[in-house]
Amino acid sequence: MPKHKPKRGAPSIDMTAMCDVAFLLLTFFMLTAKSKPQETVIVDTPTSISETKLPDAGTLTVLVSKEGKVFLDMAGSHTRTELISDVNTRYNLGLTQEDAVRFANVGSFGVSRAQLKQWLRMDPAERGKIQTDGIPIDTADVNKSELADWIHNARLAQFRLKQEGKVKDEYVMVVKADADTPYESVQKVINTLVDINVNKFNLITTSEGKPGGE
Amino acid sequence: MAEIAQDSGGGQKKGGKVRSKKMSTRIDFTPMVDLGFLLITFFMLTTTLAKPNIMALVMPEKDKIKEEDIEPVKESKVLTLLLGDKDKVYYYEGITDAKLDSTDFAAEGVRQVILNKMDKVKAQFGLEDYKKKNKEGVEEDLKGSFINVIIKPMKGSRYKNLVDALDEMAICKVRYYVILDVSKLEEDFVKNPAAGLKFSAEAQLEAATK
Repeated sequence: MPKHKPKRGAPSIDMTAMCDVAFLLLTFFMLTAKSKPQETVIVDTPTSISETKLPDAGTLTVLVSKEGKVFLDMAGSHTRTELISDVNTRYNLGLTQEDAVRFANVGSFGVSRAQLKQWLRMDPAERGKIQTDGIPIDTADVNKSELADWIHNARLAQFRLKQEGKVKDEYVMVVKADADTPYESVQKVINTLVDINVNKFNLITTSEGKPGGE
Repeated sequence: MAEIAQDSGGGQKKGGKVRSKKMSTRIDFTPMVDLGFLLITFFMLTTTLAKPNIMALVMPEKDKIKEEDIEPVKESKVLTLLLGDKDKVYYYEGITDAKLDSTDFAAEGVRQVILNKMDKVKAQFGLEDYKKKNKEGVEEDLKGSFINVIIKPMKGSRYKNLVDALDEMAICKVRYYVILDVSKLEEDFVKNPAAGLKFSAEAQLEAATK
């Protein structure tokens, strides 16, 4: 009987199929990954032990910067288009169709209604550089508060679209404030929210270890 | 690694036509797969890790607190935390003859204050029963000592203090807590603790329902 000779050399495996799978998955994850829109303000959120994750539903975020300036960001270009056309007709802002498209893709914004048109028509690179003053809040009269107006109308727009079946969920209200923001600024935002009957909202935090290393 | 394997067997045939060497197009895909999976890992991690944590907060509804909804709370169960500047916490228990003390957000600080208060309430009233839904959605009968914590951030405090205070509520499992605006009386109390807190129960109630 001839001796069984072990095969020499590395066994060659056909990697093509594996490569196909790898790149299919890669494509999938790249496409599903949402590109993070440029934020007009840097916010370092405080740490907390909370491990609840932000839900997948559309979020309506109020950003409060270190200086107490207030910015607003909302998900869904559909709702944003609806919102801006609504606000445009109501307050006669004189925005064109292109402005509305820009608004739908701009990310967070923090300008007063009067300055919105000028701000939208800026060059995107320039827009990222300049400092805006934030959305004005009128603490005395909620009906005059622009922040309250924006939030109220955005929620209404989202609700309308949900009724029509164009979006899945209503907005989840989120407050994202910097750890060093003076409490007064946050208080103004919280009071505004309570004033327009938004009593449940989420504070964004970054995770920290539970005490005792649990 | 990524070499193109050449057909070594052939060589030139005698007398035949000179043929060009046949090259097999077998390419080693291993590095490409490596790269692919590396990128997949990267995108998977960034998409899931990008989700920030949240802390749900429910504020009392405005204008809708009715007279009959107001349930008196035992004064001895109440702990008020006043969040001050420079990450300080002032606190007092109850209302009558309240003594102001201060602490901070270190592990032995405000947490100990809350736990001490819980022990005190437990010694006085014993444990109370409550029901809570667990993770599977089944109601469980549990026992705990209930205290009422009032969080009042003052001028000069920062947002982090509020979040830390809310964290302590979660860590100590305080079931009843509320964030309220600080009153003038309390500001004076912090400035001059010796004068005492001249806070009538009615004033407190009024401030709470305002």
